[in-house]
Amino acid sequence: MFFHIVLERKIQLHPRYFGPHLRDKLVAKLMKEVEGTCSGRHGFVVAITGVEDIGKGLIREGTGFVTFPVKYQCVVFRPFKGEILEAVVTMVNKMGFFAEAGPVQIFVSNHLIPDDMEYQAGDMPNYTTSDGSVKIQKDCEVRLKIMGTRVDATEIFCIGTIKDDFLGVISDPSAAS
Amino acid sequence: MSLEPFNRLVKLAARAFYDDITMKGDNQPKTGRGDNRGIAVVVLDALARLATVVSLTQLRQILHVLILFNISFLALLFRSKSGVSIHPTTSAGKYNMTKPRKNCNNSCCYLHLFHTQQKIFYRRQWVREEDLAKALKLHSKQLRRILRFFEEEKFVTRDHRKESAKGAKIFSAAVAAATGEGHQTGKEGEEKVKMHTHSYCCLDYAQIYDVVRYRIHKMKKKLKDELDSRNTVQTYVCPNCGKRYSAFDALQLISFTDDVFHCERCDGELVAESDKLAADEMGDGDDNRSRRREKLKDLLKRIEEQLNPLTTQLSRVKDLPVPDFGTLQQWEARASAAARGYGEIDPNDANKSSQVPGYGGTPMPSLGDTKVEVDLGGGVKEEAQPEGKPVKAKVLPPWMIKEGMVLTKEQRGETSVEADATQETTIDDKKQTDMMDDKSLKDEYYKAYYDAYRAKLQETQAIKQEVRVSASDDLFGTTESSHRQVGMKSKRGDDDNDDVEWEDDQPTVDTGNAGTSYKLAADLNMEAKESEEEEDDDIDWEEG
Repeated sequence: MFFHIVLERKIQLHPRYFGPHLRDKLVAKLMKEVEGTCSGRHGFVVAITGVEDIGKGLIREGTGFVTFPVKYQCVVFRPFKGEILEAVVTMVNKMGFFAEAGPVQIFVSNHLIPDDMEYQAGDMPNYTTSDGSVKIQKDCEVRLKIMGTRVDATEIFCIGTIKDDFLGVISDPSAAS
Repeated sequence: MSLEPFNRLVKLAARAFYDDITMKGDNQPKTGRGDNRGIAVVVLDALARLATVVSLTQLRQILHVLILFNISFLALLFRSKSGVSIHPTTSAGKYNMTKPRKNCNNSCCYLHLFHTQQKIFYRRQWVREEDLAKALKLHSKQLRRILRFFEEEKFVTRDHRKESAKGAKIFSAAVAAATGEGHQTGKEGEEKVKMHTHSYCCLDYAQIYDVVRYRIHKMKKKLKDELDSRNTVQTYVCPNCGKRYSAFDALQLISFTDDVFHCERCDGELVAESDKLAADEMGDGDDNRSRRREKLKDLLKRIEEQLNPLTTQLSRVKDLPVPDFGTLQQWEARASAAARGYGEIDPNDANKSSQVPGYGGTPMPSLGDTKVEVDLGGGVKEEAQPEGKPVKAKVLPPWMIKEGMVLTKEQRGETSVEADATQETTIDDKKQTDMMDDKSLKDEYYKAYYDAYRAKLQETQAIKQEVRVSASDDLFGTTESSHRQVGMKSKRGDDDNDDVEWEDDQPTVDTGNAGTSYKLAADLNMEAKESEEEEDDDIDWEEG
């Protein structure tokens, strides 16, 4: 799920950037540091939408670096248990398949895949129904439900299922039809 | 408060869960002769039996019998010894002078009563393991293993303490006093002060109830989860090194060479560990999954039906107060205090000591009432008592409550106690079995009651007929009929005088019963209806 929240971070700036464009340089550095990262608490920071406040810089002892506390608004993404997402299949395995929903990786193990879909090895390993009507292979879009999340300090990983109603393949990749 | 439902629960649980527990270790060979399966059930049954308390209705019966027996016995004694009339106090006094027997006075009655009460009330809740082994004829090591198993299962609490042989004797003395068996052994003289560890065990009813409920819940939950496929997080096991992974570690486990997970340490192929109960025999085939579902559903159904008696007993026991015997020290203290309490004449004291084990105050007052009857005049009064009630009710119509209250309290005390016992232990579908027991007891009680009552009635009838001869028929008839009309709402003018009187009296008593019971809380209506059903089939009750 996406959230728009205010976060704070301390940015260190090298003295070479002190000048008339100090603020721009600071914001640029913030974006470079934060966007695309993940914190266990907030989730993945997708994009910074604005800077609220930049506090007074503090010159560090010994070095000339200055630390600015910056408050900024950003869009974050955090998956929750029970949430339903669309994801793109990245890898198909005998034990299940991996899918990505943006920055988060989801693993669907084979016992959470409907019973009528069987694994088929090959150069394009896939899961296919007995009548061949539905196929899950790489680059498929699937709708899945998050059954559990594991949250590290810097990483979130999810387990998903497609065994419930209305879950499963949404669209095949345009190559195979 | 009786242990009966709890003991039944223990027995059912033992048979449900522990009937095939073998006490031999995994390494020991299980001989063809048998590995003593089912011995656990025997042990539990024995413990339950030892802690049993007779239900109160039975107790009252026994008490009545005992009172009569004791009185007659004492009467015999007095007659033989002193040759005087049977008034306990006077003859007791005389008796005391002739022979220094301290228990031959009124207290003798009480002592007898309470010894026997204790015998009935008080089995051994805390049991020494050696005693249990001897009683069951089991090897003590084997028994200890079984008890250890039950301790882990939270069915039994154990206490180990170092005692000298003397200390151990204190326990057995307390037990003996409690059970009324044997005699107090006060062994004097020199003894070696050797400290042996004695182990005691006691059934822990509160925990048993909780544990059994939890187990059943877990069993059903496991099956249901599997049925709904809610076992979501898959675990993987490496067959080589035995390392376990969960599906969350899947990222670290993928290999790019083949499409199976490999162990991080030994690179062995991981096996998906399915805790599916039905998956064992069948492979991972197509329609095997539906077969698995069928198997799970079948298992669930079988659990429901086979555990049905246990679950009904659980629901019955749910609202009852759980018997609690405290720690070993507390129980011992109580038992020895109770034993000491016998020496005192004061009934209240004895009352309290019997209450002390924690068996509630409600039963005791009614027993106290019976005791008071004994005090006032012995057996004569006792036998007169059942007739006394209806006689009084006859004189005053049942709607005059004042005196009736005194009487019906006795009746009420009994009925309420009985009703309570019945209420507590029944549920709609199992009402019959318990009702049957109580009913049969009540039947016997009522039979005895009415036998005595009818005897008395015949006497009064004879008296009445004399009176009738002297008085005018009309007057008597009108008074009778008016009395009847006043007394009862039912129509009964046509029958024979005798029959009319008979039926008149019976219903009076029953209206007494029914009336009072209708005055009582609603739940006694059941009681009243039953008494009506069993006695008066031919009389229509407008009230009932």
